[in-house]
Amino acid sequence: MLEALQAMSSVILDPFLLLLIFATTIIGVIIGVLPGIGATTGAALLLPFTLTMTPVHAITVLATIYVSATFAGSITAILINTPGTSAAAATTFDGFPLAQRGEAGRALGVAVVSSTVGGIFSVIVLCIAAPMLARVAYHFRPPEYFALTLFGLSMLASISSGGAIKNLIGGVFGVWVATIGAEPTTGIERFMFGNYDLYEGLSFVPVFIGLFAMSELLVQSKKANQIASAITMKAVKLPTIEDYKKIWKTIVRSCGIGTFIGILPAEGATVASMIGYAEARRWSKNKEEFGKGSIEGIAGAESANNAATGGAMVPTMVLGIPGSGTTAIILVGLMVHGLRPGPYLFTEQVDKVYQIFGAMILANVMFLVMGLYAAKLFARISLVPISILWPIVFAFAVVGSYSLSSALMDVWIVLIFGTIGFFARRHGFAVAPIAVGFILGEMVETNLQNSLKMFGFYEEQKNNLKFQNVIFQTWAFAG
Amino acid sequence: MKTSDWIVPGVITVFSCVVIYLSLQLDLSPPMIVGHSMQPRAFPIFLMVINLILIGLLTYQFYKNPPASIPLEPFHTWGTIILLIVFYGLTVAADFFLAIAVVMFLMCILWGEKRIPVALSTALVTPFLIFVLFDQVLMIRFPRGIILDWYYG
Repeated sequence: MLEALQAMSSVILDPFLLLLIFATTIIGVIIGVLPGIGATTGAALLLPFTLTMTPVHAITVLATIYVSATFAGSITAILINTPGTSAAAATTFDGFPLAQRGEAGRALGVAVVSSTVGGIFSVIVLCIAAPMLARVAYHFRPPEYFALTLFGLSMLASISSGGAIKNLIGGVFGVWVATIGAEPTTGIERFMFGNYDLYEGLSFVPVFIGLFAMSELLVQSKKANQIASAITMKAVKLPTIEDYKKIWKTIVRSCGIGTFIGILPAEGATVASMIGYAEARRWSKNKEEFGKGSIEGIAGAESANNAATGGAMVPTMVLGIPGSGTTAIILVGLMVHGLRPGPYLFTEQVDKVYQIFGAMILANVMFLVMGLYAAKLFARISLVPISILWPIVFAFAVVGSYSLSSALMDVWIVLIFGTIGFFARRHGFAVAPIAVGFILGEMVETNLQNSLKMFGFYEEQKNNLKFQNVIFQTWAFAG
Repeated sequence: MKTSDWIVPGVITVFSCVVIYLSLQLDLSPPMIVGHSMQPRAFPIFLMVINLILIGLLTYQFYKNPPASIPLEPFHTWGTIILLIVFYGLTVAADFFLAIAVVMFLMCILWGEKRIPVALSTALVTPFLIFVLFDQVLMIRFPRGIILDWYYG
């Protein structure tokens, strides 16, 4: 425990890391306030820039983007009724009515304090729960991992609002995409069509940039010429003592809800904020205020969505199963930098893990300061015309994807998956299940193969019972 | 169900069948290597069978509750897709950064930017700054083309 605290506090002594967190928090807040970009797209675009960094610095950048952009979505949600991220959608219900009443500062104050408390709470839970789960996961073998990945895939059913069947179809497609390339055990080429650039399979980064950034660009093209109207705001002020008395129970409840939902594979901040908001309303004595400018509503949604960020990191780091779209990108970041997610991460590179946790706490404190003193400035960024913003995103997307392995093939993959993602979204299929399916694809096939080898699926049916039990228990739990 | 409601299940069904067919064409691995495990073709086929079952459920869902019709995208969207194809063509035929600049400029105009100097400066300054960042700081070497041949020598 002492070592963990030592590693976490060492973050403060690394001036470059502090500067990096400061700069990334600004970028994260900008990404969060720009409608449509969001934490996932932002992290995907920034991933290539982290390649030259040390593993701790790189993951810190991605984790900071995650927490700061998740919070920043609330700034535009309150000021212009446009959630910067989907996780801030519930904040518009009460944030914008408060802003219309001339209390935008109070609404932003509640949002930033609730987000910070939620974020720090979840990182503390992450620090405690992750090593405990790692100790259990240390004994996992291929059958258990296979069952877990299956559980993660089954949770895709509720990852977005597209409907369970569409989400599962997206997940299956993602797993299939992971089979492209040489099969790892036998080396037999699958779906390569003679293109040896695909021998090692599709890289995660271009697929993710395509699915999230490029498809979003095409979705945003529908909103060309749309102009947002801004609300005037004098200054951001902290909630009063009376406000604190009114919202502290809601914050505590939403912290628990958000962290728990974040831990569930494939459930992210959006689901957490919706449930946090609904629970805040259910337990409130002033239900009639909800939807008209209730600070409890803002606190419920904001503390839950930021609490989900730390929660989502638990399965990502301990089991290698992403808890949300953004953590799927952080998972890719871990792998690109040679930090193999899993229980061994907590025994072999524990100091790095705790440095990342420490940086996440620092990022939460950083955006508290920025939220209080620079929210008005950041809100203005959201008024940048999309006719300028998205061409710039396009340039970063194509150059960023090329830079990963200096291959034009990666750029074509971005274009192809951007188009696939756009048409999928057009017909109600979310892209997050495809991304998570793609991440879990190799894990699920490899662990299935290893399990079959261990138990002899065809010849040794009796030995197979234990393996089947794991699967059925997982499915029963998922159901 | 309207005819248009059959498009999504139809496309995914055809895709699944094509993948199953392609999987059946894959080489078989010697039993010595595979052991008690499965052939490389088995997993994709298994996935597509699941997909076909899910498509059956989706079609039934569409039959019970027909989905709302999707309005056709505005010309900005189709224009942007065409620009992505233009980007591919220009990159292959001319230059990567020239393609980025041209597509950025056209995208700005297509998306409603009426101030030509603003669109032009965005299309020129952004790729230049990105190039400097990646070339000088991240040491990335970009594919040669009309402009980069001149730069790299």
